[in-house]
Amino acid sequence: MKITINNYHAIALWRWNLKAGLQQHQPANAQPTAEGEEEEEEEDDDDDDDVCGICRVAYDGCCPDCKTPGDECPLIWGECTHVFHMHCIIKWLDTESSKQQCPMDRRPWVTAGAAAPPPDAPPAPRQAARVA
Amino acid sequence: MGSRISAKRLTKELTELKTNGPPTGCTLIQADDLECWVVSLQVLGESVYEGEEFALRFKFSSSYPIDSPEVTFVNCPERGWKAPVHPHIYTNGHICASVLGSGWSPVLNVASLLLTFQSMLASCKKKELPPDNDRYVRTAPSNPKQTRFVYHDDDV
Repeated sequence: MKITINNYHAIALWRWNLKAGLQQHQPANAQPTAEGEEEEEEEDDDDDDDVCGICRVAYDGCCPDCKTPGDECPLIWGECTHVFHMHCIIKWLDTESSKQQCPMDRRPWVTAGAAAPPPDAPPAPRQAARVA
Repeated sequence: MGSRISAKRLTKELTELKTNGPPTGCTLIQADDLECWVVSLQVLGESVYEGEEFALRFKFSSSYPIDSPEVTFVNCPERGWKAPVHPHIYTNGHICASVLGSGWSPVLNVASLLLTFQSMLASCKKKELPPDNDRYVRTAPSNPKQTRFVYHDDDV
């Protein structure tokens, strides 16, 4: 049998790679072992929803003020490993009441992989938190 | 600005409250819009509030959840609702709880606040009014968010 393809539509699916986003920003010695990675994945599956904790929209969707998911509405990782839509966490950190803390764990928000902490983030408590 | 995030998130929260139900002991009384909801609340198990039903009114600004909601206990004699007698709850329904002020986080939601207030009541050993109740109620603004509460302890 001979088939001639006259036409085709390519369809692609994309997702934010949440784990890669984290690992990329972790120091080399913090790379999880294969076993650890597996566990982490299971944990992720247990997590009821892969949604931004602030707007409750899926990470793969976009924040309520955007129309197109993806690069136009990127995710942002904190050193505390929490992930949000960048636009959502900016709205929070812009408020005085945020005290520049991560909404999840109230640790000072430090964007993972950033060269320097945001100017307003006091470095001292962060070190204290790490020791404790 | 911010109205889209509040409308979208409240719609999601409302759908979830209607599908999965609010926490046990709570009933959604009124949620006709995305600005003001009323939820009745009972304390489960043994407590000094056994058999009593209260109601909480949630008011959301267009900046919710970046901005904390305005939450008060309802005084409504027709429905038999009265603010609970509690050291952190004023007779006008205002609640002194850090979670509604400096302790607010945008990842909190209506359901988590209901649980917070349920446990705040459940852990109360003795029904007592706040020591400054009369003075506060006389001069209180209608919106408790305009009050700068001093949080005396953290176990609420």
